Amino acid sequence: MNPLAAIFHRNAWNVFRRDFMAWQKYAFSSVAINIFEPMAWFLAIGFGLGAYLTLGKSSLVQFIAPGMLGLAALNAATFDACWGAYERLNFNGVYESMVTAPVDPLEIAAGEYLWQAFRATLYGAIFLVVIAGFGLVHSWWCLLSLPLLALCGILFAMPGLAVAFLVKTQEHLFYYFSFVTTPMAMIGGVFFPLDKLPHWLQNIAWCTPLYHSVQIFRALISGALTPNLLWDLLWLIVAIALLAYVPVPFLRNKLAR
Amino acid sequence: MPTHAAPAVEARGLTKRYGDFEAVRAIDFSIARQECFGFLGVNGAGKTSTMKMIYCRTTKTSGRLDVFGMDAAAHPREIKARIGVVTQDNALDPELTAAENVMVYASFFGITGATARAKTAALLRTMNLEGKERARIAELSGGMKRRVAIARALVNDPEMLVLDEPTTGLDPQARLAVWQQLLDFRARGITLVMTSHYMEEAARLCDRLVIMDDGRILAEGTPRSLIEQFAAPEVLELIGIDLGALRVPLDGLVRRQERHGEITYLYTDDNAALLAHLASSGISAPQHVARPATLEDVFLNLTGRELAE
Repeated sequence: MNPLAAIFHRNAWNVFRRDFMAWQKYAFSSVAINIFEPMAWFLAIGFGLGAYLTLGKSSLVQFIAPGMLGLAALNAATFDACWGAYERLNFNGVYESMVTAPVDPLEIAAGEYLWQAFRATLYGAIFLVVIAGFGLVHSWWCLLSLPLLALCGILFAMPGLAVAFLVKTQEHLFYYFSFVTTPMAMIGGVFFPLDKLPHWLQNIAWCTPLYHSVQIFRALISGALTPNLLWDLLWLIVAIALLAYVPVPFLRNKLAR
Repeated sequence: MPTHAAPAVEARGLTKRYGDFEAVRAIDFSIARQECFGFLGVNGAGKTSTMKMIYCRTTKTSGRLDVFGMDAAAHPREIKARIGVVTQDNALDPELTAAENVMVYASFFGITGATARAKTAALLRTMNLEGKERARIAELSGGMKRRVAIARALVNDPEMLVLDEPTTGLDPQARLAVWQQLLDFRARGITLVMTSHYMEEAARLCDRLVIMDDGRILAEGTPRSLIEQFAAPEVLELIGIDLGALRVPLDGLVRRQERHGEITYLYTDDNAALLAHLASSGISAPQHVARPATLEDVFLNLTGRELAE
């Protein structure tokens, strides 16, 4: 069975339910933490720095606002896929007990994809409400950013989980944060347009999932949709199909010790 | 295939290697339905690796391992559906309550909703955990945690319960409570497979056991037959007396003897007769301990009294 088909397995939803039950107990602080920090970046750069800059006809804050949806999805999924899943695997015996029941590591990974889809959608949706409150949303197409957030959650979860299932100590997760997700946030087209960057850096940006998701978020928020966006969507879907397999062997290996 | 006729577990030449390290070395054993079977040994003897293969957490390197007549490597899902597992560290979810731990686990067996809630309440009651349903795991004592783990393992009405060191780290009262529960399960016809390094525990609970050391099985039998074969009914420990130096004839009263530090161990059928004989040979009222032989003597005879590490 492939990991995307496993999303429809009963056990994947049971894993999701377990994560949801655990999350419910600290939901408030989790939401507060996941919203406050990106909000601070948004306000500081969008309004603070943005007061000195304009991007053609648009303001910087208008440019950043939809990008924050992609960033919210990236942060929400990455943090729990790395830190949370590492603990569920190595400290809390969560997966260890699951595989004593008739559960395959594949179904655990699929359940985690679902869970990160939920987190990304929830935290991204809160951000959508916030930027709508600032009058920065201009189209009903914005509602389609909810399924896109879910898709981003699944996609960003995959490398995060792979890292969490691979590393030997929790400190090594910082390699992933420092060398992958943070630089990706910088060059993913969230904070500034990429057309003045050197060509090679633009090519690297094109290789990141964040770049493509932000392109679509920006169009959905402004309402200026173009057929080209279908290529960005296709990019995301292909990436999901390819990366879905990556975390599973690492998890299987750790759990078979 | 009539799997109900097969033994609960059957292993032939079962071997497990982790890289270069051979944890289990071509062992043979067979566990009958409804018996309590023990794996005895020190840490690192290969007990836990053997258990992990039985409950399909890890697969064998070579040899044969059938559970309920099914190849453990080929049918993990079918086997796991019919067994209950209590791991050494309980593996309880600290982010959930006691009841949630059982209910989440139940969901993996397709037990959900009202059925799961009713079953969870009943199991926690059986394990004397009433009032602790909503407690977080961190709030529970070691004995309570173990009982939650056992309750969870029972949620699918298993035919066989696999317990890895079920009482390690528990205080004496909690240990007795777990023993009583295990005896109840045995009386209900549940096959029990357990590891232990407590000889007393194995003697009390196990119908049959194997003694493992360094990945191999050294001996197999009932606790009584093992004592008969590898020790003697009784042991006389003489303190500070070297019989060899005194050249005392023992007239066949002693099956075997060994000396370790200041203590001479005499394995005998009858301590009273042996003491009388020693008195008539001029060793009257020696400092001694006279006791029945235990599995501990068997174990130490087989693996040596010196510290291995």
